[in-house]
Amino acid sequence: MKRLKFKKESCIGCQLCAQVCSAMKEGEYIPSRARIAVETYYEDGNLKYKDSYCILCGICAKNCPSGAVSVGEYIQVDMDSCTGCGICADKCPKDVIKIREEKAYICDTCGGDPVCVKTCPQHALTFE
Amino acid sequence: MTMTGYQNRVLRIDLTNRKYSAEPLNMEFAEKYVGSKGLAIRYMYEELKPGIDALGPENKLFLTTGPLSGTPAPCSGKLSVAAKSPATGTMNDCSIGGHAGIRIKYAGYDMIIFEGALERPGYVLIDDDRVEFHDASDLWGRGSHETEGILAKQYGIEYTVLSIGPAGENLSPMSCINSDYYRQAGRGGIGAVMGSKKMKAILIRGTKGVRVPEIKKTTERMIELLQTDVLQEDNTYIYDCGTTAFLEACNDGGILPYKNFQDTTDPEWTEYNGDILLKYRKGKRGCGSCGLGCGNFLQIGEAVCEGPEYETISVAGPNAGVKDPFKIVKFNQVADDMGLDTISAGDTIIWAMEMTEKGIHDFGIRFGDADKMREYLILMARREGIGAELADGVRKASEKFGGTDFAMQVKGLEYPQYEPRGSWGMSLSYAVSDRGACHMRAYAPNVEVFEAAAPPYTAEGKGQIVYDLAEFNAIKFSLCICDLWGTIDYEIMAELLTMVTGRNWTVEEMSEVGRRVINIARAYNQREGFNRKDDTMPRRLAKDALTRGPAAGQTIPEEAFNDMLDQYYKIMGWDENGIMPQELIDTL
Repeated sequence: MKRLKFKKESCIGCQLCAQVCSAMKEGEYIPSRARIAVETYYEDGNLKYKDSYCILCGICAKNCPSGAVSVGEYIQVDMDSCTGCGICADKCPKDVIKIREEKAYICDTCGGDPVCVKTCPQHALTFE
Repeated sequence: MTMTGYQNRVLRIDLTNRKYSAEPLNMEFAEKYVGSKGLAIRYMYEELKPGIDALGPENKLFLTTGPLSGTPAPCSGKLSVAAKSPATGTMNDCSIGGHAGIRIKYAGYDMIIFEGALERPGYVLIDDDRVEFHDASDLWGRGSHETEGILAKQYGIEYTVLSIGPAGENLSPMSCINSDYYRQAGRGGIGAVMGSKKMKAILIRGTKGVRVPEIKKTTERMIELLQTDVLQEDNTYIYDCGTTAFLEACNDGGILPYKNFQDTTDPEWTEYNGDILLKYRKGKRGCGSCGLGCGNFLQIGEAVCEGPEYETISVAGPNAGVKDPFKIVKFNQVADDMGLDTISAGDTIIWAMEMTEKGIHDFGIRFGDADKMREYLILMARREGIGAELADGVRKASEKFGGTDFAMQVKGLEYPQYEPRGSWGMSLSYAVSDRGACHMRAYAPNVEVFEAAAPPYTAEGKGQIVYDLAEFNAIKFSLCICDLWGTIDYEIMAELLTMVTGRNWTVEEMSEVGRRVINIARAYNQREGFNRKDDTMPRRLAKDALTRGPAAGQTIPEEAFNDMLDQYYKIMGWDENGIMPQELIDTL
């Protein structure tokens, strides 16, 4: 099973990944609703990395009380069953799940062909 | 009328009354000037009354994005920060990197205008539709880095911070605005405008979106442009080396200034070049929407900076008679923290070094005194001791103490680090630049030195060369595109703008916008009384021949300089005095 990988030292913090993700999933450039939040920032004189991206750990699926989340080659959310309870988001170790209007939005690696990886200019994101 | 790509909204913040309101973007201006640089200057022309005090409450601070901001159009993350300049009295638009540009757009605005002034030191927080005014009395007096650190801890990394250091607070005409710690709106005393408004910092968070037509197709094409045009060797050197790469090119080309532009080239340049500096690199960083990542985060001992950029290496290195990379990086760090433009502050100090060595006036500093350079930065930022004499820049200091012939400035803005005697077009470029000596308006060495596409030591054809470069940059920067996407052309610019706005833009129109942007800036300055008498070059360039490097023996004779000015004015349709006719102003 292929997963997203993040090589932090290659990340330049451009946020193109979140822009293209939201374009494909939300129909506008809106990183606050993207299924990925990878960026860099300075803190106390050091360069730091935020690495919120789906690692396909499946914790969301295991903890979903309504069985709406399933994990195969990628994650799928059955929006009819999802109640937006937010348990998946609370449990997600990478803090990548967004709850909005009582639904959970989770990275599905674009069905196995993630646009963030195709975009990442410095190959910080890979799919392998 | 609204248009995709834009948010069609301007946030106007009245600092005096601590009020704010949103209003529609002037789409007539947007159609004619696109965004960022051009749009900001058009607004300035409209809203700033002639003759106002740049440090008075009548001056306004314009933060302006463009239609590509917030989209994955490569290298489109820059932000125009503009106001009347306290250094020159001209209009002044700066370009800052980092993430402020995309966050303003995501907050739902094309532009934020700050008017008036706070009564007491404060900072302004913008979170989508919400604006808050906060007290900053405990931040006032602190360095820019410390200020950003305190605010980042308090509010978190979703906010971008723009801040000033002590130099901006003390109204220095060489003060800058910092963001992301190491990115600057650097020139023309833009930090002092913020300081005059008693605004220590601006925080911005945005959670909204940017809409464009056919977003999947548009996005795919932008990714294609990123991968096939941007990420090519002609551009990616900037990831590998940053602007340290220019050091070798400028040294070999005979345009690396030495000891306050007394000469060019430094035989010992390899002691502080990219090969040395980048050994200390700890990480890479770019701006929002960037693909290239020019920023080198490096640390040498206790000296830390993102950079140092070519300009800073040159002014704190060979132009100051310094070779120690640690001291160059430390100079960079202190200048950033004090909120000083490294170019203007550096040029003023190296002028003081020459004044001292020539015995004209003893400023207590000589070439090679790197430790004192750093001390002087702090004194200048705080206007203390000898720093008070230098804090207003090299023009004012030379008017008081002498040495005007080698005070390297135009209109009160200090010279960037490209020696014009080795690239004559650059003397014209600095002279006609709308905000005084600036290298970002028309970068003549590209044509005259690096590409060797035109002979450097002649006036012939330089009016056209400088005009073509200026027109190109005027539209490129009005699109918020970074200078370092070097392979972009008019076709790509027209295509990007067409994709996001949904209205068909032609190459010819791109060219027309570029020309219009140059003209509106000139019209602003003309209204302030500027004309040919202000389009000057320092006397040194005509008087003193270089002795080293490929340009050895070169001066720029006054008649050659005047010939270049005549050529440029003619191309622009201005008269021999550099005055734009009223009929032309009426078309703007």
